[in-house]
Amino acid sequence: MFRFEKVSQDPLVNLTFTIEKNEKVILFGPSGAGKSTLLYLFNRLSEPDSGTIYFNGKPIIEYPVTKLRKKIGLVLQAPHLFPGTVLDNIKYGPSLFGEWEDKNAETLLEYVQLPSSYLHKDVSHLSGGEEQRVSLARTLANSPEVLLLDEPTSALDYQTAEEIEEVLEGLIKEHEMTMVMVTHNLSQARRLGDRGLFIMDGTLQEDGTIPDILDHPKNEKLLKFIEG
Amino acid sequence: MNALTPEVSNQSLFFLIIFVIIPLTLSYFYQLGLGKNVLWSAFRGTVQLFAIGYILTYLFDLPASVGIPLMVGIMIIIATFHARQKGKELPYVLPVIFVSLLFVEGSVLTMWLVFDMVQFRPSEVIPMSGMVIGNSMVAMGLALERMKSEFRDNNGRLLAALSLGAEPKQASHLIVQRTLHAALIPNVDRLKTIGLVQLPGMMTGLILGGVEPVMAIKYQLVISLSIFSSVSISAMFVTLAMYRYFFNKNKQLIEPGD
Repeated sequence: MFRFEKVSQDPLVNLTFTIEKNEKVILFGPSGAGKSTLLYLFNRLSEPDSGTIYFNGKPIIEYPVTKLRKKIGLVLQAPHLFPGTVLDNIKYGPSLFGEWEDKNAETLLEYVQLPSSYLHKDVSHLSGGEEQRVSLARTLANSPEVLLLDEPTSALDYQTAEEIEEVLEGLIKEHEMTMVMVTHNLSQARRLGDRGLFIMDGTLQEDGTIPDILDHPKNEKLLKFIEG
Repeated sequence: MNALTPEVSNQSLFFLIIFVIIPLTLSYFYQLGLGKNVLWSAFRGTVQLFAIGYILTYLFDLPASVGIPLMVGIMIIIATFHARQKGKELPYVLPVIFVSLLFVEGSVLTMWLVFDMVQFRPSEVIPMSGMVIGNSMVAMGLALERMKSEFRDNNGRLLAALSLGAEPKQASHLIVQRTLHAALIPNVDRLKTIGLVQLPGMMTGLILGGVEPVMAIKYQLVISLSIFSSVSISAMFVTLAMYRYFFNKNKQLIEPGD
């Protein structure tokens, strides 16, 4: 589905890897390793300095950029909701393409385990966890083929983070969707991912199944990272 | 209009120094460190005003077809460079401001002359144009400053909108809205309270000069509404022309000037 070929963009250097359809990939590594930069490259919020990124066999620069972003949904670390109601936020993406149908609203809230009474609630009255759920529903509303998650629980307290993780777990199981997620939380990585990419010093240090690379790390830097 | 009857003598003017001494004393006692600034501003303001007084006297004696374009041109150039300071990192900000001011002044002047609100005389057109250009300059500066801070503060929201497939225009809709609101609201408020909270400067001047209050009000209405509309147009012009420079051709958010 994705192929990165010798992609560089500060701090990333010469990254080459492939992500297959429906894979659940966890990106991890220390702060400043370039994990978020990498996520932005996937849906062209950022441009590589060199190298080529392919999506479904075609360089991503050959896709109309807005349509590409619709297909590759991104959930940011903070929810960054738009002023207005939950419904205003959820329908934002599909409305841009004239594809919004009101009947989808309740289903989307169900996905993120929010009651339908929330639809007309002003987002300024939501808790941190609720905001992140709405942000997730807003991305899902575009029916993306790929879901990119940039540490979606890092700004939440332990209990709320667990709730969001449950929502994500449910979504991943129910929907055939490719997922690339950045997380520092190794137990979360075990629960949600099936493949891990460890990035440090701008390069891909280790690539393998989650149990493999977390339980039997071959790389010294990864071992140190796991031991924390 | 009647000629100005009361005259402020040079001796009376000298006692204005008291109004400078008051903030100077305050600055000294409260160690505000504004002493030099207060003195320099007062001195500079006085020199500027006297200089413009002599220049205006000279211009008013020139034929209108020479004096008006000359002074209005100078005012537009100075206002352009001044407003540009608020957004100098943005590309093409100078021509955008210049064209906006030219357009606004041109339209307002045409309206004044076509509908016989103002005579094509330097003594009428120059001071009134100065008010229109000056207020537009401030509004454009405000709009540029506000737009930059809105883009900075809403970086996450903009990324979220772009990531959902929004065009730069759609992603920055809220920012454009807030910028225009911030640039226009002081003007709306001023118009709302006109005559209630303060008598506007031009009207006060005319009344002091011996003009009937109702006649002064008519002039004030012409200038207030002209300013109101020119400020709206110039703020809108500069905002709509400049927001796109916060994005590159790949519809990615950038730091202008980088």
